Amino acid sequence: MKIRVRNLNKSYHLHPVLALQEAEFGAYELEGLIGPNGAGKSTLMGLLTQRIPPTSGNIWFDIDGHEHNLRTMRVHEVARLGLVKTNQRIQGFESLSIRDSLRLAATAHSQETLRGVLDKNQIDDDIESEIDHYLSLFSFSNPNGYALSGGEKKLLDILRCLVLKPRMLLMDEPTAGLPDDITQQVMRLVVEKARAQQMRVLIVEHDLELIWSFCDYVHFLSDGEMLFQGTPENVKKNRVVAEKYMGV
Amino acid sequence: MAYLIFSISLLLIYMGLAQLLHVQFGMLGIPNFGVVGFWGFGMYGVAVFNVQFGWPFLFALVITCLLVAILAYGLGMLILRLEGQAILCATLAFSAIVTLLVITEKWLTFGVVGLGTIQYPVRIGAATEIIYFMLLLLIIGSFQLAINKLHQSRLGRLTIAIRDNEELAASLGKDTFKTKLILFTLTSCLMGMLGGLSAPLNQFLTPNMLVPGVTFAVWIALVLGGKENTFGAMLGVFITFGLFDILVETYLPVSPEYAVMVPNFKLFLYGAVLVAVLVYRPAGILNNRQAHTRWPNADLS
Repeated sequence: MKIRVRNLNKSYHLHPVLALQEAEFGAYELEGLIGPNGAGKSTLMGLLTQRIPPTSGNIWFDIDGHEHNLRTMRVHEVARLGLVKTNQRIQGFESLSIRDSLRLAATAHSQETLRGVLDKNQIDDDIESEIDHYLSLFSFSNPNGYALSGGEKKLLDILRCLVLKPRMLLMDEPTAGLPDDITQQVMRLVVEKARAQQMRVLIVEHDLELIWSFCDYVHFLSDGEMLFQGTPENVKKNRVVAEKYMGV
Repeated sequence: MAYLIFSISLLLIYMGLAQLLHVQFGMLGIPNFGVVGFWGFGMYGVAVFNVQFGWPFLFALVITCLLVAILAYGLGMLILRLEGQAILCATLAFSAIVTLLVITEKWLTFGVVGLGTIQYPVRIGAATEIIYFMLLLLIIGSFQLAINKLHQSRLGRLTIAIRDNEELAASLGKDTFKTKLILFTLTSCLMGMLGGLSAPLNQFLTPNMLVPGVTFAVWIALVLGGKENTFGAMLGVFITFGLFDILVETYLPVSPEYAVMVPNFKLFLYGAVLVAVLVYRPAGILNNRQAHTRWPNADLS
């Protein structure tokens, strides 16, 4: 499971935001992506999921030795391959309850057809028990109602992605907007799944403690370029990272 | 009596259009302002095939529906990736083109002179109109059943998700464009079918039937009744068309000296009700939105 990027460029109005010659993500179970504000971290994640079209370059998603060129795919096709991203800003379906929102994510697209409208049984027991499982892990103020607070919406956003059973999960600032205890719970669950080889994870985060404690490998991005990559220990010790980011 | 049956039949047609618009706008968020275009194309299509070419009604209806479906599919391919306002303008323009072509292509439609007479598909003497009314009732009833079914289905849940946040739905692996295209084509085709079924009701067609007012009437009814509620469309048309156009305008007992005021008074009431609904129930009379969505929480806690 690997994402390989070559000569990936993104500019807005001739102003370059990201220029990656060569990079690889997903070689380790949990990877971190850090860098100052405006370094291009979120842009990179948007490019990987094809939500943002690149100016030039190529992205390949390697699944069990079979390479898929993501450049030619649309957003939903990338998601169906198992490359899924949680959102930095709060996103949601305001008319769908927590359960319906999770059901939507868990339902296969082959069942959401006109013919499927005539199905007598619209409730899938496997999906229901999985949703019950997730809802038992986290305490929503009303698990059978709607996500109310910003924190609940953010948590729901992450759970929606987990229900999709991604091959590779990109997390864009999971701690922003989440209370500390919930963040710890979420991270424990994500780490557990990654260690069980159920998925690979790439985390963008400003909370460096979280990166140092969970990640096996860290990418440091600055001004749209990959300046340094290595284990957390090496990144911590690196002078460039210290100067550019940690303000030492 | 015949007039009452005619009025109620027309009411059913409007209900059907509002139901279909409920699927397009209330469920999928596609602001189709070209309702009269699809409906009018269906009506004139059936009339031209039936009167000019002499095809049997049912055959003319099927071919017309196919043509409307192809048109809707093509239009959908062009516009359904665009933003709401662009879709609104494009569909409005589409309906204007249909009306203009009906006026200019005299060899086919007789232009402003008018096209007729379209006979009822089955003629059983005096009972013809009532039987036809029953048929329309059956169709609107089955539309309602289908919409209820759609609301409970997985596809219905997907349409609501697309309406709320299309980009998010796509990021969960949903082909939002295809879903919108299929349902837009189907519902627009059914609008055309309702048009075809209106042809024998009106018997004689003129281009001034294809005014944007038809679109607006359906929209007002849907917004009034509740665009996201399953029964909003029916209730809305019942109030606007049923209460005001039929009951107030035709059957309200007023003395002759005041009769001249009735149409204006009707419009006045119409407007007052709309304003009242928009002030007190912005999502329509049958408003099933959760209260909390009106006061969204601050983004970050």
